[in-house]
Amino acid sequence: MKKLKTLIAALVLTIAAGAQTLNVQVGSVTYQFPAAQTGEMTYTNGETLTIMGKAFTISDISSITVNDTKVTNNLVSIAYSGMSATVTVAGNVAQYVTPTVSGAYVSIAQSNTDAVDEDEITYQLSGTSTDGQFALSGTYKCTLSLAGIDLTCTTGAAISITNGKRIQLSAKKNTTNALSDCTNGSQKACVYSKGQLQIQGNGTLNVMGNTKHAIKSGDYISIKNLTLNITGAVSDGINCEEYLLIKSGTVTISGVGDDGIQCDLGGDSSTGEILADEAKGIEAHDDEDSGNVYIEGGTINITCTAAAAKGIKCDGDMQISSGDITVKTTGNGKWDSDDAETKAASGLSCDGNMTVSGGSLTLASSGSGGKGMKCDGVMTISDGTVTVVTSGGLYYNNGTTENTNYTSDTDRISSNYYSSPKGIKAGVKKQSGNSYTYAGGMVISGGTISVTTSGRNGEGIESKNYLNITSGHVTVNAYDDAINSAQDMTIEGGYVYAHATNNDGIDANGNCYIKGGVIYAVGSSSPEVAIDANSEERKKLYITGGTIVAVGGLESGASISGGTCKYTSSWTASSWYALYNGNDLALAFQTPAKSSSGGGGGPWGGGGPGGGGGSSQQLVVYTSSTPNLQSGVTVSDGMEYFGGMANIGGTVSGGSSVTLSTYSGGNSGHSY
Amino acid sequence: MTMMVMIASVTAQAENDDYPYLTFETADGAKTSISTASLTINIQDGKLKAGSMELTIADLSKMYFSTSDETTGIEEVTTTTLDETADIYDLQGRKVTKDQMRRGIYVVKTKSGIRKVRVK
Repeated sequence: MKKLKTLIAALVLTIAAGAQTLNVQVGSVTYQFPAAQTGEMTYTNGETLTIMGKAFTISDISSITVNDTKVTNNLVSIAYSGMSATVTVAGNVAQYVTPTVSGAYVSIAQSNTDAVDEDEITYQLSGTSTDGQFALSGTYKCTLSLAGIDLTCTTGAAISITNGKRIQLSAKKNTTNALSDCTNGSQKACVYSKGQLQIQGNGTLNVMGNTKHAIKSGDYISIKNLTLNITGAVSDGINCEEYLLIKSGTVTISGVGDDGIQCDLGGDSSTGEILADEAKGIEAHDDEDSGNVYIEGGTINITCTAAAAKGIKCDGDMQISSGDITVKTTGNGKWDSDDAETKAASGLSCDGNMTVSGGSLTLASSGSGGKGMKCDGVMTISDGTVTVVTSGGLYYNNGTTENTNYTSDTDRISSNYYSSPKGIKAGVKKQSGNSYTYAGGMVISGGTISVTTSGRNGEGIESKNYLNITSGHVTVNAYDDAINSAQDMTIEGGYVYAHATNNDGIDANGNCYIKGGVIYAVGSSSPEVAIDANSEERKKLYITGGTIVAVGGLESGASISGGTCKYTSSWTASSWYALYNGNDLALAFQTPAKSSSGGGGGPWGGGGPGGGGGSSQQLVVYTSSTPNLQSGVTVSDGMEYFGGMANIGGTVSGGSSVTLSTYSGGNSGHSY
Repeated sequence: MTMMVMIASVTAQAENDDYPYLTFETADGAKTSISTASLTINIQDGKLKAGSMELTIADLSKMYFSTSDETTGIEEVTTTTLDETADIYDLQGRKVTKDQMRRGIYVVKTKSGIRKVRVK
């Protein structure tokens, strides 16, 4: 029924518009007035002809014709052809539109302050020009429809909209559109909009920013449906203020000189997220100025190569609820003279909170000091898939000397002078004299998280404040601490694998509370441990529940209750073991290929049982009942966990019983 | 079925929106209707020119589409008038001779000016 009504409405419009049309041509502009709409057209003093409120200076009129051209109400068509352009204006909006055409430079002043015939004006761009522009000023929202436009501007922005109201920039279905601006210009972007910019449509839009950004809005930007390719930009691919919302579509950004997407706060203070309130007639994001980024769907591919560039960066919060997001950064860190500190690249970065409640994130950072994702506030991952790989080394720069693979100890240098690579970083720790303040934190309550860092000082997951894990699948293979918190850490659920090759597997610089979950932690050689707490500052490891395998032992003085903790110092590397809680199989796990960074012999690795590199590192196990361990088992069926390092729910056969000792101590690990 | 009737009604209405004439009115109320078929009006020397039709813009007060010829002040054809005639055009802009004139309206260009005449 709805379709039929729509069909009838369309038919009525088509028929009405398909009747006779009075065309008034003024230079390169043709105004088209449907005969049925014109009424009386008045002449004044032999100088002015007024049609449907549009006053023409008669001497400017080239011709007046009548034909059967169909007119679409509210439509202004701009057709580019080489070095010229023609403009066609629908009669019902003629009085509100003043076009100026010079060659292929089209400038339009729009004067309406309200809807025309219950709709907004649509400007439809088509054709090709290697030296043209579309500029628009006005005070009411409108639509800019790209219907197969290939436009290059040699003097400024390809599209410059100084209308401060909401603009829909729509790539028409089945069209490919390309926009490019001049080099070394004064424009802010190839596509600039002073007002809100809604980028949409079912076509393709390719944008190249040769002076600064590719797309810039002085207000918010929303994106849905279209295929948007930022093929290059001197600065950011997309830059906006207030907030950014990606609902759907495919956004690909490459060749940018700075960040892929940057969203800044528009004013001096944040409104925070504006939620819909039907009772008050408030729609979501109404008058919002938060600096937030919302990703609710779509496919996003971003590649950044610049020093310290971010794939997606914002002043406010970043909320990812769906979508397929891939970000690759390759740039090293750099010295920021304004802040007098080093800055590093990151796939995702926000100054506020970061929330991942769905979607798929694949983040790779190969530059020195590069990070996968970071926020200054609270990072919450409750669902979705997050995969982070960083391979860059430690970045050092004191403002005069740079080292992209710094290998010296960082304990005695200002943290402003170096940036460590990290998979995921959340929160802020600030020093003031001899005291510290902590902000933000991290909560993992779901999702599947995989983090790998291979560069020097590369921590896997680091919270500069608290870190809570209540559920989810967390797998970390890191050069430095696999999972680290500057304050207390609590694990009460989920599946957690934390393998560090050069530091602690799990390291809380406050208390560490393990209350539940399945935890497999691997630390490097002593004094590093599998699970650490800051005993140097009278903090403690508390184990009250869960199932734990800790290769490398526990922080000394651990408080253990609610179960039994045992260990062996004789275990075989790269071998499958089965851990039983009493008689019940808790999990099967594969021991590390080598027990410490030393490997291949020496006091902590190599030469042990099984010939694969044994160790005197403690293999500690904890279960709620009595842990029993079988070595050399064969595992079938079940489900793989921790990147194949564990199996739960499988069938175990073979192997032999391991003699376990009651755990009563542990190493005194470093809590860095 | 109701919908189909509505569509047919709308279609019929649309077909009735054809305007065969564009009518010009001067300040003194005189009207001149010209055919809208393939109409092109050029503006030159203070006049609107459509084929042989010329209208002084300063004299015009308005124009509008009309469904009938509303031309007023049409003179009867007299021998004298036609003798003074230099050129005769039909409303389609075609030049005709006196012998070719049939019933209808013609634009007659004489020494004293351009007039629209009706042949009965």
